[in-house]
Amino acid sequence: MAELAQLDLPAKGAELRTKALIEDLLAYHMGVYPGHKLALAVWFGKSTGSAEHNILELFDGPPMDAIHHFGRQPLDWKTGSGGPPFAMLHATSVDYFSKLMAANPDIVKPYFDRAEVLYFDKHALTENLIRAFNIINEPSGLMKGWYLSVDDWAKFRTLQAAMASCRHVRPDVGFVKIEEFADLQGCRGLLHVEVEQRWLPLSPGGLQNYTFYHDVLAERRGYFLFEGGALYRIVKFEVITAPEYSRYALEKSRDDRYPEVYLRAVHPPEQSAA
Amino acid sequence: MTDTLKSICEQCIHLNNPQLDFIPANLSRHRAIVLRDLGELVTAASAEMEKTVVILAGSLFETVLFAFIASQQAYIVRRRGAFSLDPNNATLENYKNIFNRWFSDALPAAVLPDFIVDYRNLVHVNREIYFPPNVCERASREMLRTLDSLLGELSRFGTPP
Repeated sequence: MAELAQLDLPAKGAELRTKALIEDLLAYHMGVYPGHKLALAVWFGKSTGSAEHNILELFDGPPMDAIHHFGRQPLDWKTGSGGPPFAMLHATSVDYFSKLMAANPDIVKPYFDRAEVLYFDKHALTENLIRAFNIINEPSGLMKGWYLSVDDWAKFRTLQAAMASCRHVRPDVGFVKIEEFADLQGCRGLLHVEVEQRWLPLSPGGLQNYTFYHDVLAERRGYFLFEGGALYRIVKFEVITAPEYSRYALEKSRDDRYPEVYLRAVHPPEQSAA
Repeated sequence: MTDTLKSICEQCIHLNNPQLDFIPANLSRHRAIVLRDLGELVTAASAEMEKTVVILAGSLFETVLFAFIASQQAYIVRRRGAFSLDPNNATLENYKNIFNRWFSDALPAAVLPDFIVDYRNLVHVNREIYFPPNVCERASREMLRTLDSLLGELSRFGTPP
């Protein structure tokens, strides 16, 4: 129990209170600049005992030509207090920061020191920024795609038509393969859905809200079409207790129970014979 | 042929017999609106009105989440240190984010996926046209089941002081 005794609860509490105050400020900044949408907020150079906290804000929208410094902003602004703690704001555009990061990494180095990402909008960020700030929003090996009912598939008939219809819509299901069967045509794995821009495993309770689950229960055919064009028929679902499955997910299930799906590869024609 | 909206709705016990004790007395008008809209939702589902169900269910998600979060501000304050609902951000997306952030550990079966907002946004024609033509068929069914599940979880979470 030595680890428990070593926990510094007052320091952790101070960090969480400061974080809550910074998040309130960020929530205000999300809608305050017309034409600029907050894309990333990073608390950097973290030092919870300090009266000043450094925040980097990157905005989507028209490019800026510098990192602007806004001086001290009282974090207790909601109560009308002008006193400490303060936020020291550094703000620029996604575009400018990305270019600076590529051209002059030393200048942006301080923004990665003891940094914690407090907010991100992955659709407004570049892949480089997502990697640089170590924003992990999906588990390794995740395949993203869409559910197609048997009626959907009957309308499409070809992968090309199905992909053409689905690619304009963001994927609604994710799959992490746990085992590929010996014939290489079947596999089983964990289903994921996107929650707050992160792909998290479906819970056994959550599974029951989905059409694909009820279609399979009713012995109706259903398919997952994944980005890249792989098509699988859903064979069955099984809810199992498997603590070791937490390594396939960004967050572990509270009770170690996961719904597992079994899939079978389907090889339709790429294009209509006509 | 997928399940009819009527048959799904008949299995949704929390839509048909809502227990709204989680909505506090000072939000009695909100409770009345939820009850009215649930009644209309059941009627629309029984008549297989898919688009109506999608839009009305989206509205209900927003009202139910607002009322629940408003009633549980003390719970969030205990965990976060301070909290107040921002009146300038009265959106389904904001309520969903707050709900998932502070209640997903206590109510894992009620976690709301991001596509709930996409479905509600089918109210905008220029959003709907990007989806496959039968999007309302699926959206209406998943909105019904998810709302039913949410109401069930919230009613078990406890009544506000």
